[in-house]
Amino acid sequence: MSINHLSEVEFGVELPTFQPDTSLANVKKFAIAAGWNSPRFTDHEAARKEGLPGALIPGIMSQGFLSAMIHNWAPGAEIRLVDTIFRAPCVVDERYHINGVVTDIDEESGEVEIDLTVTNDAQETRVFGTAKVMIAN
Amino acid sequence: MILDLHAHSIKSDDGRAKVQNYCQWIRAKEIAIDGFVLTEHRQFDNESDYSPLAAKHGLTILKGAEVETQYGHVLVFGVNDALQAAFDFTNINLRLEQVIEACHANGAVAVPCHPGRKRVGMAAHLEEFGIPKGVTIVEVYNGGSRGEEDQVAQHMADEQGYLGIGGSDAHIVSHIGRCATEFSGDIRSELELVEALQGRDFKALKIKQED
Amino acid sequence: MPNVHEPIDVESLRDQFLNSVFDEYELVLDAQKLADYAKSCGETAQKYIDTSNPDFQAPPTFGSSLQPKVRYPKGFPTFKGLGMDAGKAVSPSKPMRAGEPITVKTHMHDIYTKTGRSGRMVFFVNRMEFSNANGDTLGAADTSIVIREKPQS
Repeated sequence: MSINHLSEVEFGVELPTFQPDTSLANVKKFAIAAGWNSPRFTDHEAARKEGLPGALIPGIMSQGFLSAMIHNWAPGAEIRLVDTIFRAPCVVDERYHINGVVTDIDEESGEVEIDLTVTNDAQETRVFGTAKVMIAN
Repeated sequence: MILDLHAHSIKSDDGRAKVQNYCQWIRAKEIAIDGFVLTEHRQFDNESDYSPLAAKHGLTILKGAEVETQYGHVLVFGVNDALQAAFDFTNINLRLEQVIEACHANGAVAVPCHPGRKRVGMAAHLEEFGIPKGVTIVEVYNGGSRGEEDQVAQHMADEQGYLGIGGSDAHIVSHIGRCATEFSGDIRSELELVEALQGRDFKALKIKQED
Repeated sequence: MPNVHEPIDVESLRDQFLNSVFDEYELVLDAQKLADYAKSCGETAQKYIDTSNPDFQAPPTFGSSLQPKVRYPKGFPTFKGLGMDAGKAVSPSKPMRAGEPITVKTHMHDIYTKTGRSGRMVFFVNRMEFSNANGDTLGAADTSIVIREKPQS
């Protein structure tokens, strides 16, 4: 269900989860658009030579996934903050889940706080954080 | 009584959860815990009084700390003025033996946490430093564990005869109560928590969250 | 610029480098790149993916992707070890538009340490602030870079 008004937002509600496109082709497209076209993100072999488990999904792309999830849930939401901590690397071509859940609602200001996580199939948290978004009433 | 013995609030540099939202979450989601302990990184929160919040939500909210030693991170329960004077909580190079001795001397309990984790867990340092003296309890279930970390912790606990506790290591609201510790009696204060841990009558739990 | 292999003196670095703007430049955003950025992240809102949309703008987290032209303040030491992104916080306040000149100013906002038996971890937090030609603040982005110091042998 799409959220259009603050009154529709409930504490504890989970935002629709999605699995982002983490293919090398898509990450390359992102890296070029972002100006982050480094082999660390676009070349598994080069990343492994740096001691990494493979090419990494840039942290800013994870932020983009999380932001997209919020807009998919509440198309008119104005994002005021996305604050993420990168706990463990997310590797290109692996499957992740983009999750959010409402943890605070300020009825007066219209600000909604959302817990954000990027998890893998083992339900391990790779990225966590919070978002603050404004939703009109 | 079930307490989540390891949680962080916005008082920790990487904590993003407000304590009132933890309470709200526990009640709204009917998380099967009766309270939690705030174990902020490298500090003891002397200022905050959570008793009104605890009363409002019918929860036990206690305070401890998570300090850092050569064996990794260590939870400290029963923090008091004397303990804070005994060592510098902000020091990231504490000696585990010093922390344990200071806890013994000042009515507190030290518990190495996420001991199966690389770098910041105790198991990773046994080969280099040997078995530390004075450890009796370790955190065997940590809500932030990845891969085999909890199994490594449990294996070490079994080998060394340590008791195990559980804690969520929550840094965001929705992670509270993922792991916890069940005690046979009620616990309403840090002192009672220390007595319960010293009484050795508890067990670590993993708590399934509602989908 | 010295390459430092010894333990980092955090207090000294804080005294010398915090809160002074060390990098400033202007840029103009390219519409197609903004749309590609948003699409590859799975955005579906038209104002982020359709360059012909009358309200077309950069996706809200775009500010995180901008980087200073100079990574560190003048005189700041470089450190041995792999610098990794430890966290990012982006706080947009007004839309960033394609074709509009945007000024980006960066200062070092914080320096602090955390543990690690394989070496102390030192965090450097750079804050970038964005404004348009009218001087309106468009937002800010904090980037935490962590450097894991190697144990001293």
